[in-house]
Amino acid sequence: MTNVFPVVLLGFLSVLSSQSLATAGTLRWGGDASGGAPYLLLDPKNPEKIIGFEVEIAEAIARELGLQAQFYQNQWDKLIPGLKRKNYDIVINGIEITEERKAEVEFSKPYFYTYEQLTVKKNTDTIHEWADLAGKRVGSLKDSFAERMLKEHPGKVHVAGYEEQTTIYADLGYDRLDAVLLDQPIALYYGSLDPNLKNLDTHFGHVSYGICVRKGDFELLRQINDALTKLLASGELRAIYERWGLWNEELATRFHDPAPSHLIPSELNAYRESFQHHSDFQSRVEHYKTYVPLLAKGAIVTLQLSSVAMFFAVLLGLLLALVRLYAPRAIAACAFGFVELVRGTPLLIQLFLIYYGLPNVGIKLDPFTAAIIGLALNYGAYESEIYRAGILAIPHSQLETALALGLNRWQALFHIIIPQAIRIVVPPMTNDFISLLKDSSLVSVITLVELTRVYGQLAAASYDYFGVGILTAILYFVMGVPFVRLSRWIERRFSFESYLPRTIR
Amino acid sequence: MPHTLTPHIDVRNLDKTYKNKSVLKKVCLDFFEGELTAVIGRSGCGKSTLLKCLNGLERIDSGSIRVGNVFLDRNADQKHEERTSALRRNFGMVFQGFNLFPHLTILENLIKAPMVVKKLRRSEASAIAIPLLEKVGLLSHIDYYPSQLSGGQQQRAAIARALAMAPKVMLYDEPTSALDPWLSDEVFAVMRQIAAERMTQIVVTHELRFVREFADKVIFIEDGEVVEIGSPTELFEAPQDERTRRFLKR
Ligand SMILES: Nc1ncnc2c1ncn2[C@@H]1O[C@H](COP(=O)(O)OP(=O)(O)OP(=O)(O)O)[C@@H](O)[C@H]1O
Ligand SMILES: [Mg+2]
Repeated sequence: MTNVFPVVLLGFLSVLSSQSLATAGTLRWGGDASGGAPYLLLDPKNPEKIIGFEVEIAEAIARELGLQAQFYQNQWDKLIPGLKRKNYDIVINGIEITEERKAEVEFSKPYFYTYEQLTVKKNTDTIHEWADLAGKRVGSLKDSFAERMLKEHPGKVHVAGYEEQTTIYADLGYDRLDAVLLDQPIALYYGSLDPNLKNLDTHFGHVSYGICVRKGDFELLRQINDALTKLLASGELRAIYERWGLWNEELATRFHDPAPSHLIPSELNAYRESFQHHSDFQSRVEHYKTYVPLLAKGAIVTLQLSSVAMFFAVLLGLLLALVRLYAPRAIAACAFGFVELVRGTPLLIQLFLIYYGLPNVGIKLDPFTAAIIGLALNYGAYESEIYRAGILAIPHSQLETALALGLNRWQALFHIIIPQAIRIVVPPMTNDFISLLKDSSLVSVITLVELTRVYGQLAAASYDYFGVGILTAILYFVMGVPFVRLSRWIERRFSFESYLPRTIR
Repeated sequence: MPHTLTPHIDVRNLDKTYKNKSVLKKVCLDFFEGELTAVIGRSGCGKSTLLKCLNGLERIDSGSIRVGNVFLDRNADQKHEERTSALRRNFGMVFQGFNLFPHLTILENLIKAPMVVKKLRRSEASAIAIPLLEKVGLLSHIDYYPSQLSGGQQQRAAIARALAMAPKVMLYDEPTSALDPWLSDEVFAVMRQIAAERMTQIVVTHELRFVREFADKVIFIEDGEVVEIGSPTELFEAPQDERTRRFLKR
């Protein structure tokens, strides 16, 4: 077993791992499609396609460089770690140029200038000025420039940092927030969708977005800057902004281009329209159907991850349980320590360490492998306790009897003890498997696009957390059903008490 | 009673201690081929421990056990494990609580050890098991699970299971304590049948009625010491030791 195991492991993973390596001739760019409009989102009309002004910029730059743009999904706040890890070579996703970030990555020259905008409920007339925010609950995106501005507000502002922009405006609608401060493009797209909200005209702060490149990647940086210069000169960049309804005074000033807009904001209009014709039930259902392929893809990733992880978790759990029960004290203590360590620390952090931490010591795993390792280690620790309890639940006299019949300890374990313990451990194992199915959503921090991540992207694109949420929940539920079935079958198969002798049957 | 001069099993100065508690003290015993020896004594005097030491389920602290040409002492060299299992192959053991494997049918209970230990094929093991089940009167219960049998049936199955490994000596630890008198008789009947085939048997029991009638020899133990050894007549009619007399009087 010891020799075959790693080979089997690698075989398994390489078959299932979907992440391909960088190919020549591509511009690998990272972003987060759950971020939403107008930056980067799943096309509400065709959710299998990503759109957004940054998608167009990425493609325009790639064209300038004679490359093919290739998009890599990652969670927004992990975009820079992913860049350092060389998952992709540039990041274009509304990353504000700040001093802290400059210490970590190289920034291109700004490709977009904007400002922060306040959104409030229509009937609010207490908030107009910056000073009015004192004592109010104000929502923003975590780690964003807007959030930092709020935190530096002299009056006591209760700042709520969110992961996803769309939920912030929803909370404002539900009166959980008094105001939202976010970059103007976001306010433009989301702050105006709900008729009960209004965007205030006042501008706050200055924001500039830059394209991130790894430190020291000067050649790529130069090429990107050149490309941006060309796109600016040719008016192509401006055309993108105009079509997305993003051309503003700030850009006009910075890019020395005072001419009035002349293009129709077609993309902005299309986005707004995509909401209007789903208001009735029928068209909504039709629309949900277009989500199914994408959700199914996510569900398959979730299922693959969970099954492979559980397979290894079961093996590891069994090994740990046996070591803890029968190995010499020192080795058993190591197993105990391992179990405690793994159980006592959050899975999220473990995944993060495995994926982003290990490359520092030269171990660079692809996301699928890292996810499997993280989940299998974790669940292996939990399983081991279940197996240990199951084995301990079998009376000692069964072991003694087996030994008296001439079986050795291993034979007694595998032929007598474990078959009896299975019946005891199957229900809690099923529990764990279902919980693993859902915990697997945590792996989106390491760039995997599984079901929950797809949900986030679809919800952001459609601004419909409720409907997409129910669809996703149903999918999780349905995925769990076969395992519950299997578990019942195993339980019945091993429940000798309820067995009828063949002669009676 | 005629028997060979060298005993089948001899136990010399056997000591067994559990955490400073001396459970068997300098026990010396001979068991002869084909004899049924009964071991009697108060609860906690060390009877079960003696049986477990005999078949190597418990390690001995000093002294020695010899069965045929297998010799075992405290010595824990590399061969110890090997010798323990060689010793154990001589014995079949029957427990007070039957200890059938609940997840296996009666037939599977019998063929498991021959298949796993002796690597017999299922058919070969069954060919051994089925006559044994017939002998203990359980042929019609081959496919039952242990939980579907009465206590007496379970204990007879357990005896057959031990016999399926073709031991030279049978050890019984209070085989009938969990059974009512009628069911006990079923089990004793099987043991008598085995005695008739001249197999060496050692029985720990509180059933003095059975001991009187069928044992070839009786050993009385108190507080881990062998107090008296004799034929049932000698021990029951004319006990030599005061402690034996006190035990029998109750
Ligand atoms: N594993 C053990 N650890 C510690 N002490 C033990 C252990 N097994 C038995 N003993 C002790 O050794 C003594 C002898 O036990 P043993 O089971 O041999 O008695 P017994 O003669 O079989 O009694 P009974 O008739 O009740 O079965 C008892 O005092 C018991 O408490
Ligand atoms: Mg006892």
